[in-house]
Amino acid sequence: VAKTSLTSPPWPEVKLPDPVEEAKYHAELVQKVNKMIATGQYGRLFAVVHFASKQWKITSEDLIMMDNVLEAECGDRIRLEKVLLVGADDFTLIGRPLLGKDLVRVEATVIEKTESWPKINMRFWKRHNYQKKKIIVNPQTVLRINTIEIFPCLS
Amino acid sequence: MVLLSAQRWVRRRLTDRFWRVQEVLKYARHFRGRKNRCYKLAVRSVRRAFVKSTKARREKKRFLRALWITRIEAACLEHGLKYPAFISNLLKSQVELNRKMIADLAIYEPKTFKSLAALAQRRRQEGFLAALGDGKEPEGIFSRIVHHY
Repeated sequence: VAKTSLTSPPWPEVKLPDPVEEAKYHAELVQKVNKMIATGQYGRLFAVVHFASKQWKITSEDLIMMDNVLEAECGDRIRLEKVLLVGADDFTLIGRPLLGKDLVRVEATVIEKTESWPKINMRFWKRHNYQKKKIIVNPQTVLRINTIEIFPCLS
Repeated sequence: MVLLSAQRWVRRRLTDRFWRVQEVLKYARHFRGRKNRCYKLAVRSVRRAFVKSTKARREKKRFLRALWITRIEAACLEHGLKYPAFISNLLKSQVELNRKMIADLAIYEPKTFKSLAALAQRRRQEGFLAALGDGKEPEGIFSRIVHHY
């Protein structure tokens, strides 16, 4: 039968790879990454952590400042649990949406608890004799991320 | 002796006018022209500055989100995907990174961003295949031209 413009659909035909072969390839890859983690062949790890309703991209030895109060004294060690992504130079582990607690461990210390600089909130309507001025001072907490560790328990 | 009313030279007078004026002028020191020196002009400028900064704090959030979206769009076009396809397929694969993080990863971790783009592309193709189905026509429907005589 002759080929016309309507024989095949206008979008490009896409073929997915064979599921059996793909499963084998995935298992091999998982084994390789597990071995890499177990032998410690990674440099600096970075992690994406969900904390204080914000997402942070953190590495070891870096500082984080939150705009609220944390119920922990200065010097307390804290474990950040909601980890979305962990990566090194050669591999990344993407969580759907979170990674397991037996896979990653992120430790942080509370360094200081201060207040923010006085922010001025002012409202003014012209010709209506209406103005209000309010000074807002938010409590802030500074955390230092100590370590990010991963354990070879992928499957 | 006890006096029933105060003397005429004892009045209530404002003594810290200087400091009240300085409180306003300190916020105007970096302005241009006479409004950094003269109190009457400075009061108006400082009030406008405070009001503008309060409104800007609310708009900064909108502005930054638009910036992140532009950056993510540029980065995923380099990998051959468009922004709506990228974001929708990432959400369908249950990856809940927000736009700020994806923009930061695109800048500082290019390999990770490439893997995210590949994940989105694969999920997109799987979605298309699932929508197309088997390729057979549904029963009971024919598509040849019918002649009415």
